[in-house]
Amino acid sequence: MVTTTSRTRPAAGAGRPLSPGSIVQSALVALFVVFMVVFILGPLLWLGVRAFAGTWTFPNLLPDDWTLRWWQVVISDHALGVAVQNSLFFAPLTVLVSAIICLPAAYAFARFDFPGRRFFLISLFATNAFPKMGLFVTLAALFYALNLMNSVLGILVVHVLGTVVFMTWIPAAAFSAVPRNLEEAARDAGASKLRVFASVTLPMALPGIIVAAVMSFLASFDEAQGTYLVGAPDFMTMPTQMYSLVLNYPTQVAAVFSILLAIPSVALMLAAHKHILGGQLAEGFQIK
Amino acid sequence: MLAFGFSIGLTGGLNHTIATIAQNVHEADAWWGTLAAYQEMFTNKRFLGDLVVTVIVTLVSTLTVLFLALGIGLYLKLKGGRMARLLSGLAIVPLFIPVVIASWAILTFYSGTGFLRSAFALFGLDFPVWAFTMVTVIIGSVWTSLPFAVLMISSGLQSVPKAMIEAARDAGAGSLRTIVSVIVPMAAVPIIIATTFTAIGIVGSFTVPYFTGPNSPNMLGVDMSNYFSSFNQPQQSAVMAFTVFLIASGIAALYVWANFRSAKEQGKA
Repeated sequence: MVTTTSRTRPAAGAGRPLSPGSIVQSALVALFVVFMVVFILGPLLWLGVRAFAGTWTFPNLLPDDWTLRWWQVVISDHALGVAVQNSLFFAPLTVLVSAIICLPAAYAFARFDFPGRRFFLISLFATNAFPKMGLFVTLAALFYALNLMNSVLGILVVHVLGTVVFMTWIPAAAFSAVPRNLEEAARDAGASKLRVFASVTLPMALPGIIVAAVMSFLASFDEAQGTYLVGAPDFMTMPTQMYSLVLNYPTQVAAVFSILLAIPSVALMLAAHKHILGGQLAEGFQIK
Repeated sequence: MLAFGFSIGLTGGLNHTIATIAQNVHEADAWWGTLAAYQEMFTNKRFLGDLVVTVIVTLVSTLTVLFLALGIGLYLKLKGGRMARLLSGLAIVPLFIPVVIASWAILTFYSGTGFLRSAFALFGLDFPVWAFTMVTVIIGSVWTSLPFAVLMISSGLQSVPKAMIEAARDAGAGSLRTIVSVIVPMAAVPIIIATTFTAIGIVGSFTVPYFTGPNSPNMLGVDMSNYFSSFNQPQQSAVMAFTVFLIASGIAALYVWANFRSAKEQGKA
């Protein structure tokens, strides 16, 4: 601990005597940090407190009394339980389907320089640039014709579409980061192509694939507009329920439900945060 | 493509079902279709208002995100230390929170009985109600887009070699000058990518303006869904979608250009 602080000190510029200018500067930084704390965490804390609030009179900063009543309401509500089940059913399925479709494509983008490769990468990006709502309007037109409205398959298509960009780009960057000569060395040592892929390429690209899977899972878990358009009222997932909760229930119920909805996201993100912050995400968004 | 066909009035084939359900459909009078739906929307005050609002929100939010992300990234690069890590950690938090929840949390935070109003009321001050105005839409957009921009930009800035910065300093350049003419140009590509993705995300956003914005004028994403489900005019909705797409592809062109530039620098193009 001592060594690390002494090492960072010269960079922080603390060796110099404190001048009025540097005091003003640190005060400004502190002010900015306080602003960011209120800006980023304020709304979340405000919502979190609400989940345990009985009554709350305006301008008090804390509720008048505390209760767990709203948690009981949420847990005993059948429709909300179904929504949780639906979400937990669709999200993993989406990741799986998306991985089966996109990972081979990602590998091809990374390893083979086929004609039109860049065109495909860019057109993928174009579908991402197209407003989601517009895409769903188109899909709805198609789904009416193909009789996919209110079906599991229809919702799955909507969810998978939302994950294609993550599942192609991030793994593609991860695959192309695997050095070719490592693969060639394994080939020279007598490993079959499949074996090289399974025991050299795949493990090295795994962090990227994990990040892609987490992002896809969350994209599917958060997806509300398309599911609502295609699936409501037969298939309600947690985010679509959230829409009606906000409009029709006491705010505390929505607050409790929000916390429940945030748990999987936070857990997954914490599990993968090392890779996400480590640049796998940033790497994936640069077409090469 | 189907939607585009529908928006210019081609109502046959797969578009037939929806054309039967929909109201106020302009049917094609020439082989290539008709621009009547576009003409209707571009003379519609509500649509034009929405368009202006969308462009303004996108511009303001993107600039704010860029400013914050650059500030945090540069602070992390040049000063480092505990404060800088705390800041960048904070900026990543929204990545962990689903957008639906974030928009709703932001709405209650800035609402009539929200935290800011309460805090100010304790001192006898009257803080404006920001909920259901474009202010919260901008706040929400910035909140949700910040993590990605911070990740992209700070990873770009970190890859600028320390030696370059010190060389510029030794040559007598001040902090500002080092930032403007050495660090930012060297990290230009990730910065442009972050900007374009932020802008594209905001231009087509739905959840944030739907929860926190006013009824009208609101951003095109929201009105698109109103036209589709509430007014049952999918053709008009498709016109809106293509307008947003046009704006987004303008922004996307910048992204593609940035990527080609970076590929060229690495001798791959």
